[in-house]
Amino acid sequence: MNILQWIKNKVRSRSIHVAYVDVGSCNGCDIEVLACLAPRYDIEQYGIFVHNNPREADVLLVIGAYTPGWEEKLAMVWDKIPSPKAAITIGNCPISGCLFDRKGSFVDPPVKKHIPIAAEVPGCPPRPTEILQAILSVRDTVFSDWEEEHP
Amino acid sequence: MSSSLVWYLREFARVEWIKKFLFAKTAPLVTPTHFRGFPEPTGKTCTHALFCMMACPAPGAIEVVHAGDGWIPKIHKGHCIRCGLCVEACPNGVLKSGRIRETMEREGTSLLFSFRIAIDTELCTGCGNCCTACPVNKQADAQMGAGGHSSNDDVIMRVQEGDIVVIHEDKCTGCKTCEVSCPNGAIRIARILEGYQQPVQEGF
Ligand code: SF4
Ligand code: SF4
Ligand code: SF4
Repeated sequence: MNILQWIKNKVRSRSIHVAYVDVGSCNGCDIEVLACLAPRYDIEQYGIFVHNNPREADVLLVIGAYTPGWEEKLAMVWDKIPSPKAAITIGNCPISGCLFDRKGSFVDPPVKKHIPIAAEVPGCPPRPTEILQAILSVRDTVFSDWEEEHP
Repeated sequence: MSSSLVWYLREFARVEWIKKFLFAKTAPLVTPTHFRGFPEPTGKTCTHALFCMMACPAPGAIEVVHAGDGWIPKIHKGHCIRCGLCVEACPNGVLKSGRIRETMEREGTSLLFSFRIAIDTELCTGCGNCCTACPVNKQADAQMGAGGHSSNDDVIMRVQEGDIVVIHEDKCTGCKTCEVSCPNGAIRIARILEGYQQPVQEGF
């Protein structure tokens, strides 16, 4: 491993920028993502920062069951994120549609169909610790040695 | 003393303080055991009453599947919302989650299922499909043939003189097989879930 890669790994492991997008949910999971920012969980001590700007982001948190209004828009947001990048789905909604996926409803889960997903966090809503763990595990698997694996 | 500048400088020059300032982390948070997780099996025998599936509010969250000779409830993550209703509704205590079971025992609470059979006599033609389809009827009177006639008094319902008669509503297990087999949609099963609490003794 060259020294440049080593420096990049070090810096990246302490500087993960997160954007989150709600593609049609009950807001329960949004509240849990916000709870990660609170002193009790304090997401910034791990070097994770929430900006909500896809151009600056490394990690995209996707919340919600994918309503028709998000056709194309979600892919657009995903394309705006510079590589290396990873998308994590939060909650049951992006996996299965949760309680909204019933006959006659307009949601179109799973979100996996629409953009590539690196990790899924089940739960309705998942706990802030579980969200934190998912982001940290993605950091280690996706972002370290990225240049060496994608020359 | 703490008002002097020297004191502050000494205080901030301590190795301990600098370490804390640069590297302090909140302790890694562990999930307390009383938090409701995804329900887990306790090892007790499942009797396939399916009350867990009937109580579950989330589509596709729980399924009772074959396991060797018996049955076992299977929780699907990504569907389950960790509400714990299946844990409470199970009459045999097959599932556990957080301290739900302990709380139920301490406070004497339970969720009980009962079933009501409603037959719309306007729509019912007396064909007897429901009577022959019902698995409880089959067990009570194996001889029951097409038409739903039976001389056995243990059956849930039977056809008498062209009309359907419900005899033992209390034996119904709520499987809704009869609903599916009725060509006219005349029979409806209501699954009623009620919460009970035993009176707590004095001085508890
Ligand atoms: S998973 Fe549950 S809490 Fe999260 S958005 Fe969906 S319904 Fe709301
Ligand atoms: S905890 Fe609730 S959502 Fe999960 S399987 Fe049991 S009843 Fe269904
Ligand atoms: S619900 Fe099942 S047990 Fe009850 S009457 Fe219908 S077939 Fe029989």
